[in-house]
Amino acid sequence: MSGQGVSRRQFLKISGMSLAAVGLAACAPAAPQPGAGEGAAPSSEVVTISFMGWGNPGEDEGVRNAIAVFEEETPNVKVTWMHTPENYAEKFLANVAAGTPPDTAFVGSDVYRTYIRDGLLLDITDYLELDPLLGAENYFIEPQESERCTVDGRWYGIGSCWVAPHIYYNADIFEAEGIEPPSNDPDEAWTWEQFVDTARALTVDVNGNHPGDSGFDVQNVDRWGVHWDYSNGTVLYSAVNINGAHWIEPDTLKLDIDTPAGVEAIQNLADLMLVHQVMPQSTAFQGLGMTNTQMLENGKLAMAIDGSWALDWMKNMRATLGTSVLPQMSRVATNMQAHLHSGMSGSKNPDAAWAWVRFLSTPFYQTQFCRTGLWLPSQTALMTEEGLTEWITEGVHPTDYYKIATEYLPRFGMVLYQPIGWPRANSVIQPALDAIWIGDMTAEEALTAAVPEANAILEEEQART
Amino acid sequence: MTTATSPIATAPRLGWFNSLPSVTRRTITGYLFIMPFILGFLFWFLAPALVAVWLTFTDWNLIRAPRYVGFDNIWRLGTDKLFWQSLKVTTLYTLASVPLGLVLAFLLALLINTKVRGIAFFRTIYYLPSIVPAVASAVLWAWIFNTEFGLLNAILRWFGIARIAWLQDPTYALWALIMMSLWGVGGAMIIYLAGLQGIPDVYYEAAEIDGAGRLRQLWNITLPLLSPVIFFNLIMSIIGTFQVFTAGYLITDGGPQNATLFYVLYLYRNGFEYLNMGYAAALAWVLFFIILVLTLLIFRYVGGMVHYEDNT
Repeated sequence: MSGQGVSRRQFLKISGMSLAAVGLAACAPAAPQPGAGEGAAPSSEVVTISFMGWGNPGEDEGVRNAIAVFEEETPNVKVTWMHTPENYAEKFLANVAAGTPPDTAFVGSDVYRTYIRDGLLLDITDYLELDPLLGAENYFIEPQESERCTVDGRWYGIGSCWVAPHIYYNADIFEAEGIEPPSNDPDEAWTWEQFVDTARALTVDVNGNHPGDSGFDVQNVDRWGVHWDYSNGTVLYSAVNINGAHWIEPDTLKLDIDTPAGVEAIQNLADLMLVHQVMPQSTAFQGLGMTNTQMLENGKLAMAIDGSWALDWMKNMRATLGTSVLPQMSRVATNMQAHLHSGMSGSKNPDAAWAWVRFLSTPFYQTQFCRTGLWLPSQTALMTEEGLTEWITEGVHPTDYYKIATEYLPRFGMVLYQPIGWPRANSVIQPALDAIWIGDMTAEEALTAAVPEANAILEEEQART
Repeated sequence: MTTATSPIATAPRLGWFNSLPSVTRRTITGYLFIMPFILGFLFWFLAPALVAVWLTFTDWNLIRAPRYVGFDNIWRLGTDKLFWQSLKVTTLYTLASVPLGLVLAFLLALLINTKVRGIAFFRTIYYLPSIVPAVASAVLWAWIFNTEFGLLNAILRWFGIARIAWLQDPTYALWALIMMSLWGVGGAMIIYLAGLQGIPDVYYEAAEIDGAGRLRQLWNITLPLLSPVIFFNLIMSIIGTFQVFTAGYLITDGGPQNATLFYVLYLYRNGFEYLNMGYAAALAWVLFFIILVLTLLIFRYVGGMVHYEDNT
């Protein structure tokens, strides 16, 4: 064993040195250097930029198509697509922490403002203002596009599209019951009472009774009137919007749901289950493949409130699909948001990054996904009579669906604000909502307690330097 | 066997190696063979763990450079309601699912240790759930627990019991996940089975001659001789349940009302959703110490009850 002592020591020494090297590498500053892109490659030289994003197979294909067209139009820029369908935020942040952020990326609207504060995103304001196409007045639906993209008047990304909650319904059920379905025209939006009454008429138990009838058996409902997917934040927030309130107040960047309008809206939503008995309780499975689509299709559900993106799969259902604007409690409204496309401030090729982000905001890219029902346009050119023909597709978009894009969103859409610290603040709000949905607490009791606590968290997170 | 004429042996750069004493050469060769593990351990475990020690004393949101904040993250644990809630949920989960799982796995192992026709088939059937991917299991169980259409409530209805909102009612959600955890006892069962098959038949034969019944044999032969395996499964289960994540993440997202907010889920949220990686690192180290202390306590107080056959 005499030789072992020496080699073990040597071995430990080498191991220790490797370890120290790893430790030092991990501690290396990861923060991007603002202005690092000043030495951008001259335009004659071919540069390669990376683009990181999520998306289902259809979106993946759309991005690949876009890259092919872009590279043909812009021969001196090549785009490497880093398709990351699962756990995107973690992988993106890991790249950032490692000091190797992509040049361009999808940025969720929930983290956009945090990334801006931390200097991660490329300021594209000057590029945009000088651009003859995108810089033109009213190229985008305004003021919503500026509202979502700018912080202190500066642009750090451009919205990919818009998505917004609205009603989906099984038109065959309405026809069989002889009930007039709701409309895509916001000027004909139902009142809340009309909505609840219709949902009650459409809810029926196995014995043919409706809620409110004596003998109605809520344990054995054959068909539910409505399902408002409150497990999805955006869809939930729209209930507050239709009562004239914001979920997050844009001016203060604080939660605004403990106001009388907010409390009333959330209680109204809970009462669909607890009082009116027109909506099923179970919504915890949306992420696991069980969706309201199957229930609509097989006639177990008459109306579903879900995001416009769901049209991408709702369109395939065998029953006749209809859509409409949301009902109103005190005003016609919905909310609108979507992920953004941004360049990273640390990119060595900011010009190329802008060229690519810009391309993603031209009609070619957006039209692909509008045609499938996944997206609604954010570009006004796609909302003219001629523009609509580019993407409204028979078999995908129900009759008069274009009014959602041309009337409902521009006139009544409220941009959804998700301020810095929102995910942590939500850790207080979510349990409060859980208690409301099953009737453990009223909206007033739960929100009066939770909102100040959540706002204190927002304040703390926004002050984090 | 390398001969003097082989190209490797004659390569001049290995000359120094051949001139070493044979014991040293064997030692170096041995270390080279275990190097993949050692390097993996150093690079993918020890180094990140040590970096996490440093991160514990920083405020780091993964984007900006970490900022030293002293013991802030540690003090914060004391007043963080969700930290205590997650610790409570995880402890309850461990206290319930570990004993239930150990007993169930043991009983199943006894069942499949019998010599009947087609036993291999039954062994496969009972083991199968534990190799189903966690996500697939989660989807399956989400359906079983569904309030409206779930299998469990359908069975309750046959007995005239009103439906239960398994995953929406905070009273039941954690129990639902505990029930679900028993679905994966196949792993522990196989380890028990291996242990059971290692017990020589002669002990049972001798006991039978002495007139011992089945229960007496179980108590005086099987349990003592299996105790190292039980002990192993106990330790591994406790470590595993303190690190439980998938079910709470996929099925309930920590809800309702934080009833299934598992410790690692809360840690993950702090790291990647709240962008408090420094605090997440503190949580990770606290969990490490909790598991370490529990393991040491179990060794101290339960380890003595374990029977080792060759213990002299």
